[in-house]
Amino acid sequence: MVTESVLQARHLGKTYHTGAIAFEALKNINLNLNKGAFAALVGPSGSGKSTLLNICGLIDDCDQGELLFDGEDLTQASQQNLTNIRRQKLGFIFQGFNLVPVMSIADNIEYPLFLADMPVKQRKKQVAEMIERVGLEDLSHRLPDQISGGQKQRVAIARALVKKPHLVIADEPTANLDTATATSVIDLMHGMCQEFNATFIIATHDDRMSSRCDTEIRLLDGALI
Amino acid sequence: MKWLILAYSNVLRNKRRTFITILIAAVGVTSILVGGGFANFTYEGLREMAARDSGHLIMAHPSYFDKEEEMQMQYGLSDYQQLSQSMASDREIRYVLPRIQFSGLVSNGEKSSIFIGTGVDPAGEFKVKGPFLTMVSGSVLSKRETADNPMVVIGQKMAKSMNVKKGDYLTLMSTTTEGSLNALDVTVQGVMTTGVPDMDSRALYVNVRTAQELLQTDKVSTLSIYLRNTEDTDKYRDMLSTQYPDYAWKTWLQKAFYYIGVKGIYDRIFGLLGIVILVMVFFSISNTVSMSVMERTREIGTLRAMGTYQWEVNRGFTLEGLVIGTIGSVAGALLGFFISMLFMLLELQMPPPPGRSEGYPLAIDIPLDFYGIAIVLTIVVCMLAAWLSARKASAKSIVEALTHV
Repeated sequence: MVTESVLQARHLGKTYHTGAIAFEALKNINLNLNKGAFAALVGPSGSGKSTLLNICGLIDDCDQGELLFDGEDLTQASQQNLTNIRRQKLGFIFQGFNLVPVMSIADNIEYPLFLADMPVKQRKKQVAEMIERVGLEDLSHRLPDQISGGQKQRVAIARALVKKPHLVIADEPTANLDTATATSVIDLMHGMCQEFNATFIIATHDDRMSSRCDTEIRLLDGALI
Repeated sequence: MKWLILAYSNVLRNKRRTFITILIAAVGVTSILVGGGFANFTYEGLREMAARDSGHLIMAHPSYFDKEEEMQMQYGLSDYQQLSQSMASDREIRYVLPRIQFSGLVSNGEKSSIFIGTGVDPAGEFKVKGPFLTMVSGSVLSKRETADNPMVVIGQKMAKSMNVKKGDYLTLMSTTTEGSLNALDVTVQGVMTTGVPDMDSRALYVNVRTAQELLQTDKVSTLSIYLRNTEDTDKYRDMLSTQYPDYAWKTWLQKAFYYIGVKGIYDRIFGLLGIVILVMVFFSISNTVSMSVMERTREIGTLRAMGTYQWEVNRGFTLEGLVIGTIGSVAGALLGFFISMLFMLLELQMPPPPGRSEGYPLAIDIPLDFYGIAIVLTIVVCMLAAWLSARKASAKSIVEALTHV
């Protein structure tokens, strides 16, 4: 079976400059994530997890090496091009859920499809299916501050996956949740990874999360170990 | 539409702040409309007064406006009756009225004073003057006046100075067209006021025939053409000056020095007031949107991470400016309308302006085009302020925005 690469990093490096001081956040990172991978990005604080995650999510740039997404080299890509890729092929799950407070649950989930210019009818159908999939049918008209943390993260997962992205970037998705809720969120993410055949890259400190991942990317002091 | 609904929802996030911002926009629009409406009412009144005084168009001898006459009526119109008849056939021309401007001495037998007289056609002159000539006592000149008993209408201060009332006699003295002195006894028919004290002490009206007899002429100084619509003035000036190229033409505006002066001052005062108000609205919206942008920095980062373009984020905030501007300006327009109506019902009076003896009604016009301009301008200012405030925040890096606390 031929595996399809979604994300490839070659000799990736990133250095932050604060005045005269330079801090090398990432050093010579090489990685390859295939379609359907459920990868954990682990390491202590300051190891470069967030920096690598941001570069993989195309919201930050590297200053060394190459980054290939769906086989396309994005090292020199314009902001417009990167925004387009994020719009069409990437989903984000944040630690703090980051739902838009003035939008209902359904509207939050619908937003990525709205950005993708999907026709209203198809949009509504897809949103309804996704709400059902994450088990929030009765809450679809509520606002984010009217639901629990676990439910918010389910909405965030639904929002990230509704457009069937190639890559989902998740930053500490279980950090703000209690054990039972975190377990259900991990189950949901894992299940959806398989269902949608999407590639997940999850920055986490949570052993329960990393233990469920099929790939572990371990970072220490900005380098892979 | 979805963006607009989202903008509306965002505007309602902080209801108190939004209410205050809308209130500032509304009060700003109301102030502009009330101030502008008052200025507009004043302009219309003065324009009407000027047009009724001189006529919409003045036809004269080619040298009348440019050169000083060496002899009385040197640059008068001799064929005025023929010209009047010819022009009066146009349905858009209400009146063609002959006028003779002359001056001299008026005497009651004991006391003499300078006068500035106007020979007029009583049939039309006092109709066109309308509310801009007030009779204090007696009546206006009659078209049935006979040649052996000429009448005069004099200013209030002149009547007081000469100690005359209706039915009393006065003697008018002036230089004839040949340079000799002539005098004519006239009976006071009425006492009037123009609202300008200086005019009331010098002005008098006689029949054009009386003036011609006094000056020993068959000419008139000018023909005043009154149109049905003031707006047609320029059109008729072009038309008539082509039709009658051998005469000089002036419009009422070229003679309306008081109107031009007042309009110049009011335009500056109310224009400046309008600019100050719009600047206030601009800063108020800027402040509101800046606070909102700061509070929503992380949200902006999230939206941008999901693939929202920077210009789409800016558009969202600009639409919020549109929502605030629309609600504020429409509310302000309604408030302005009610205040205008209230002033109309209360019938308040303004004190007399400088150089005048009578006040005028404190009324506020409700010109729809002005309302439209004020509403659109306020909305544009609100959108511009919102766009400028949002621009900086949306340009922030996504990573920085997502870590904003």
